[in-house]
Amino acid sequence: MKPLALLTPAIALEVGLFFIPLVLLGLVSFTLRDSFFFEPKWTLENYADMFTVYAFDFQITFLLVILAAFVDLLFGFPFAYIMTRRIRRFSDVFRAIMLVPLFGELYIAYGFYYLFLPGGPLGFIFELSGVSAVRAMYSMETAVIALAVYTFPFAVYNIGISLQGIDRAIEDSARCLGAGSVETFLKVTLPMSLPGILGAWLVSIGWGLGAFAIPTLMGGAMVSQRMLSVEMYSIALLQLDLGTASAIGVILALIAVIIFYLSLRASRGALV
Amino acid sequence: MRTTKAERATQLASYGYVLAVSVFLLVPLIVSVIRSLTVTLPGGMTTLSIKPYLEIAEYAFWPKVYLSLSISITTILIDTAVGVPAAYALVRYNFLGKRVLFTLLNGVWYVPGICYALSLILAYYFLYKWFLGYWGFIAAYTAGFLLLMLMTCIVAFKYVDPCYEESASCLGAGRLTTFFKVTLPLIGPGVSAGVLLIFVLAFNEFITAFLLNLPTKLMTAPVKVFADITRARATPYIAAEAAVLQLISLAVVIIYLRVVGTKYLRGVVLV
Repeated sequence: MKPLALLTPAIALEVGLFFIPLVLLGLVSFTLRDSFFFEPKWTLENYADMFTVYAFDFQITFLLVILAAFVDLLFGFPFAYIMTRRIRRFSDVFRAIMLVPLFGELYIAYGFYYLFLPGGPLGFIFELSGVSAVRAMYSMETAVIALAVYTFPFAVYNIGISLQGIDRAIEDSARCLGAGSVETFLKVTLPMSLPGILGAWLVSIGWGLGAFAIPTLMGGAMVSQRMLSVEMYSIALLQLDLGTASAIGVILALIAVIIFYLSLRASRGALV
Repeated sequence: MRTTKAERATQLASYGYVLAVSVFLLVPLIVSVIRSLTVTLPGGMTTLSIKPYLEIAEYAFWPKVYLSLSISITTILIDTAVGVPAAYALVRYNFLGKRVLFTLLNGVWYVPGICYALSLILAYYFLYKWFLGYWGFIAAYTAGFLLLMLMTCIVAFKYVDPCYEESASCLGAGRLTTFFKVTLPLIGPGVSAGVLLIFVLAFNEFITAFLLNLPTKLMTAPVKVFADITRARATPYIAAEAAVLQLISLAVVIIYLRVVGTKYLRGVVLV
């Protein structure tokens, strides 16, 4: 069993540090508050709370990430189209720039946070237009834009890969048969890249769900629009209600895995 | 072939659009750098200055950068040792349940960071108490980013024709000699792509480090930036801290692209 020997360290690593902790998270989610570590009191109450106390948090989280995913599609599709079809010179420079959002959402959050800060570069625009900069900073729109920047590369990879997969001969034959470039795009290219677009949309949602620094520093932190990741953190480590936090974690992880699974079914993008 | 006016206009518009979006993606970096270089004088005047970059030493920032660097490099070493053989086995051998195994090995990538971090904290408290320290970060990142090494190495192994390995063994090289003298040099660039990605992500990782900061009392550089933002908002030295971390990451990316190029990142993180 040669392959098994080569794979054992990797399997051991993932089992020990991913699957066992995940099982533990599942177990804790069925216990009351932090009782798991002393004398476990088993309960289903944590999950019942998901549909009552935290139903609104789920709604707001999905609203934010779905809106961000649409923003990604809106700007990401033309971007991917141009990158794969039109650009030759400097294409590597633009590719390199696409790696920058991978540095992490913390810097994205900080960048936008500073832009909107009273006295910051954009602060005066808001003051002039009568909108308070602080309100703009914590608004839903800002959170959506920041989330969209964070998830943008993932959307572009997905769309780009599906655009590259389209045989150019099909587009050429549409042209030969008399279709104009707009018609070719609408009737051939766009329909053929739909799986990639769907995949990109789902992937953006999946990554958006995991965002933490953006909702903590901007809109998405306020009680009226708090995202689940922030809620989870404050329940687990500030209120020490590990049971409820774990239950949110289990549900969030399940939803994310299902979303990524569906996106993989729709299209095989880069890194998801 | 001469280009028509319309074609040139579309080309120009295309470049304009891509440039505009790219600049928007760079806003966080640009903002950090600009803010870190502007200092408000007592009179209310603002001026260019590198003082914030000197100030960050006073706030004990550099030790955190060394910690982050040390954690990322250790993670890279372990992930290379674990990931390269695993990728080799996944590409060169066929066995029952290979796809399922590959999916399971990658599972951690699809779970939101906060869920993974919380489950790890619970596991460290309950099962692996010895991980509540420096090695807890390493453990979290090696498991969390192993997928990056697997993906890049799998792409690299597929570029390498098995015939080189076969001829090496025909000529009398053992399995190990073949692997170290033929396969490894050939997939080197692929491994380097994995190294790059793990470095960029581990060095800047925030959520897990943020949660581990409480029990371990160890603070990585991104957590330090976050703590400073919440404490002192947007004073220039915080922008300098954020800029330093982003510029280190950017420098590593640029050096990598200069030396190796984008080939081995395509299909993994690049179109």
